[in-house]
Amino acid sequence: MSEIVLRDVTKYFGSVHALDGISLEVAPGELVALLGPSGCGKTTLLRSVAGLLQPDSGQILIGGKDVTGMPTRERPIGMVSQSYALFPNMTLRNNIAFPLVVRNVPASEITRRVSELLDLVQLDAQADRYPKQVSAGQQQRTALVRALAPQPDVLLLDEPLSALDALVRHQLRDEIRRIQQAVRTTTIFVTHDQSEAMAIADRVAVMHRGRIEQIARPPELYDRPGTPFSAAFVGSRNALELPVRDGQVSLGSAFAVRPPAGSGIRVVIFFRPEDVEIITDGRGHPATLEVKIFLGATTRLHLVTDVDGKQARIYADVPSRQAASLEPGSTLGIRVDPANVRVFSVEG
Amino acid sequence: MSAARLPRILSSVMFGALALYLILPMLAVLIYSLARRWTATILPDGYTVQYWISALQDPRLFGAFVRSVVLAGATVAIDVLVVVPATYWAYVRNRRIRIIAEMAAVVPFALPWVAIAFGILLLSGRFAPALLGTPLLLMLAYAAVHFPFLYWAVDGAMAAADVVALSEAAETCGATPLQIIRRVVVPNITGGVVSGGILVFASSFGEFALVQMLVGGSFETVPLWSADALRATLGKFPELAVITFTTFMVLFVLSAILVFGTGAQTIRLLPGARAVEQRR
Repeated sequence: MSEIVLRDVTKYFGSVHALDGISLEVAPGELVALLGPSGCGKTTLLRSVAGLLQPDSGQILIGGKDVTGMPTRERPIGMVSQSYALFPNMTLRNNIAFPLVVRNVPASEITRRVSELLDLVQLDAQADRYPKQVSAGQQQRTALVRALAPQPDVLLLDEPLSALDALVRHQLRDEIRRIQQAVRTTTIFVTHDQSEAMAIADRVAVMHRGRIEQIARPPELYDRPGTPFSAAFVGSRNALELPVRDGQVSLGSAFAVRPPAGSGIRVVIFFRPEDVEIITDGRGHPATLEVKIFLGATTRLHLVTDVDGKQARIYADVPSRQAASLEPGSTLGIRVDPANVRVFSVEG
Repeated sequence: MSAARLPRILSSVMFGALALYLILPMLAVLIYSLARRWTATILPDGYTVQYWISALQDPRLFGAFVRSVVLAGATVAIDVLVVVPATYWAYVRNRRIRIIAEMAAVVPFALPWVAIAFGILLLSGRFAPALLGTPLLLMLAYAAVHFPFLYWAVDGAMAAADVVALSEAAETCGATPLQIIRRVVVPNITGGVVSGGILVFASSFGEFALVQMLVGGSFETVPLWSADALRATLGKFPELAVITFTTFMVLFVLSAILVFGTGAQTIRLLPGARAVEQRR
């Protein structure tokens, strides 16, 4: 177990500022997820830690040792890429053995370690098959244990679940967490899927335009997003731009909150669909039910309401039993607990 | 006849027609080489193996055949040693080299052979006059003009195998550049190397213009012998048929062994095509 320390890491691709002075510390044994949309720099950051990209400036330390200029093969890392990149000419067993073979580990030790890892991911029966002869999930598990085979100080996972279907993805997400906790390897996990990041990580770093916007534990990030981008990206929030009047921001009778000090005449507010309360007795802010989408235990309501003289769409998640009695086209009342409303100054 | 069977029958007919189109000329050459006399009839008047015996016992023809095989084999060896590492480097380390390689690969097809041969003679005369008229110059010239066949096949194989991702994965596993090339890259592009190598071998074996202009009769190859046989007063047509059929069979058997031996099924042969499948 080693810590990872990034100090002011910067990378340009031509005129594009891919990494804008990133500083980050990952504690020994911790799993940090880098979360953000495509092009935010999360993969560039991971590849910089792996040594597959050289940062233009800044420092990367693993276990206290500066590895910034060190070749990839000498870094104490294991990595799983989005495509797994298993070697097609080798069986799963030989793929897992590869990092040990190139390190000239004794054959008996390789045999012992490979069967231990095959056992860890329950792939003993498929060990002598080629990557093309096994499922995507089995390929992913092979790639994971191949990365873990040399017992690296750091595990780097670059969207390892994105090529899988939903059911397998959820199973493997939990399995990665189980294995990571079993081996306690310091891990950086790159994903654009917020639910994946929340489920798997000790802390989540939200990235945007080459910067870390916020780094926090999942519940904190979910409940108290620190920036408008974090609020918009995490939790599928409702986002509305509203005027500040008499020192308050309000959406009719749905809620009224105080804006942060120094806000201008307009602010942007965020609240989650599950925090919208639906009232059918004529109270609350009026909204017309447009569409109901059944999601199982809950139903998502698409509501249209008047916001500062313009029509805006608001999403509300309600128990499906309650939603059953609501008819599209009917007018409902909405209310949001002010404690669940996040207010930010309008940028720019 | 059901509608579902019609496409299958059509495809069988098409395949049969194509096979006939490809096989018929070689079959005619084989029959001609065995014909006692074949002029105004559908089939020969009689059959004999005397032309095969005389052709195979002809030391001049045997010498030309050996020279052609050695020359083509050496050309393949030079191209594999130069093109494969260069293509890998262009893929993994410096993508800009690809532009130069792609442009260079077009030159042998864009310029007439006379211009290429004259250019090689000029260049050799200026920088290595000792090579003029030697088989070594011919070998180097062959390697230079036939490399595109190998380059395109290897380039396609590298794209299909995604050697960039495989190399990076091997690097994160701790492999050295040599280990990456030996254990990961080469085994995954063998199909491309083999198919490109066969094309280089075949095109070098049949090369006429360059050998005629660079070394002439001092280094007789099969194409030179063939041209001479055609020009002879009593044209050695049956012997010509023997050597044509033998050459075809040598290349065909060699291709079959290499293609099936390496498990390659479909290989990219022309620019633009990218499909390479490996039989597992």
